[in-house]
Amino acid sequence: MTIEVDHVYKSYDGKPVLRDFSLDIESGKSYLISAPSGSGKTTLLRILLGLEKPDRGSIRLLGDYKYSGLNAGIVFQEDRLCEECSAAVNVAMVSRRISRASAKEELRKLLPSDELDKPVRELSGGMRRRVCIVRACIIPSDIIILDEPFAGLDRVNRQKAIQYILDTKGTTPLVITDHSAEGLDFCRKVTFSGCDALS
Amino acid sequence: MRLSSAKRKVLIIAFWLVLWQALAMAVHNDILIVGPLQTMQALFALIQTADFWLSIASTWLRITAGFILGSALGILLAYVSYRKQAVRELLSPVIAAMKAVPVASFVILILIWAGSEGLSFNISMIVVLPVLYLNTLSGLDSTDKKMLEMAAVFHMPKSAQLRYIYLPQLEAFLLSGFQLSLGMSWKAGVAAEVIGQPLQTVGNGLYRSKINLDTAQLIAWTIVIVLIAWLMEKLVVLLLQGICRAGRRA
Repeated sequence: MTIEVDHVYKSYDGKPVLRDFSLDIESGKSYLISAPSGSGKTTLLRILLGLEKPDRGSIRLLGDYKYSGLNAGIVFQEDRLCEECSAAVNVAMVSRRISRASAKEELRKLLPSDELDKPVRELSGGMRRRVCIVRACIIPSDIIILDEPFAGLDRVNRQKAIQYILDTKGTTPLVITDHSAEGLDFCRKVTFSGCDALS
Repeated sequence: MRLSSAKRKVLIIAFWLVLWQALAMAVHNDILIVGPLQTMQALFALIQTADFWLSIASTWLRITAGFILGSALGILLAYVSYRKQAVRELLSPVIAAMKAVPVASFVILILIWAGSEGLSFNISMIVVLPVLYLNTLSGLDSTDKKMLEMAAVFHMPKSAQLRYIYLPQLEAFLLSGFQLSLGMSWKAGVAAEVIGQPLQTVGNGLYRSKINLDTAQLIAWTIVIVLIAWLMEKLVVLLLQGICRAGRRA
């Protein structure tokens, strides 16, 4: 399966954000999009997810897909968690195929056990981020998209999170945006230069 | 000396009761004003009659049924309006009219169309529907768009979306809608019964008190209405909070 990003243009109020961006996202491969803030990384991910339409160009899904759009496991730039619910509920709620017990089992790989039943509003920023990572990786998906997933994580936890992602993703293609490439040597680097994207 | 909050409340109520009794004794006219003691006597006499309980039951059933149906319709229509802009625009003048038209006009219209039997049911429903519609729609409109995006991307089940995204957002809007409309449904429902005169209802009881110039009984009926409306409000609030809490925990 390949997700083909073909000559995509996007602008807001006449200001170009993406200009002629192309990328083939292939099964089993990982991609790191590293660029300064405001250079269009999140816009590209939103276009991939079908949340925004490109002004020109297209996203083509080549192969068998369950839904008309991409079925993605995603970490958004913001946590987007239900604040009153526990980490386990936040992970289990997104799919009928995930029980709360299996969500807890996965969360234990990245979080201390005694934090799993607390409302996520009581968790630190780094812990919340790890809940988001588990939520994105645990569901069966066509692609895993992680937008600044390691924000607020110290070095040790960053490394643990990267290892967890590698262990769970299987052959699902992975797209990460991050300021740093530390620990992400397994990814192909996709660089943005201002609004001119080169892959 | 500082009094506890409960003691202060009791003292305030006692002050007004004593003042009320003193005023009644000073006026000394049972038609113009009766004191709390006579009101209690009238209430005690009322609750010993079968007619009282039948009236309470029949009014309660009608107003509660109207309240439930009005709430259900209001919430359902708000959801459809939230999903479909055309429905929202289509319903907008109807809801505005329901809010603006005096209840007395609706009472007379329903009397002409359907008679007095289902009057308080219909009026209760008409009063409740726009309040619940507008409150629910406001709640839905203010739902966190980012959470809805998350739900769409993950193909989150609809039941989970309702439970974890919509319900927490709607809770405060529904609570205030229920609290506001419940009191209104009782006030409007009983007023409609006073006008329409269906037999063995609270409104009919109030009307008979007026005919007999029995002020004590009129105030006794009023106390009963206020008490039932207050109890119903507490019950509905507790129910809704329980449902929302269970939804979050489950």
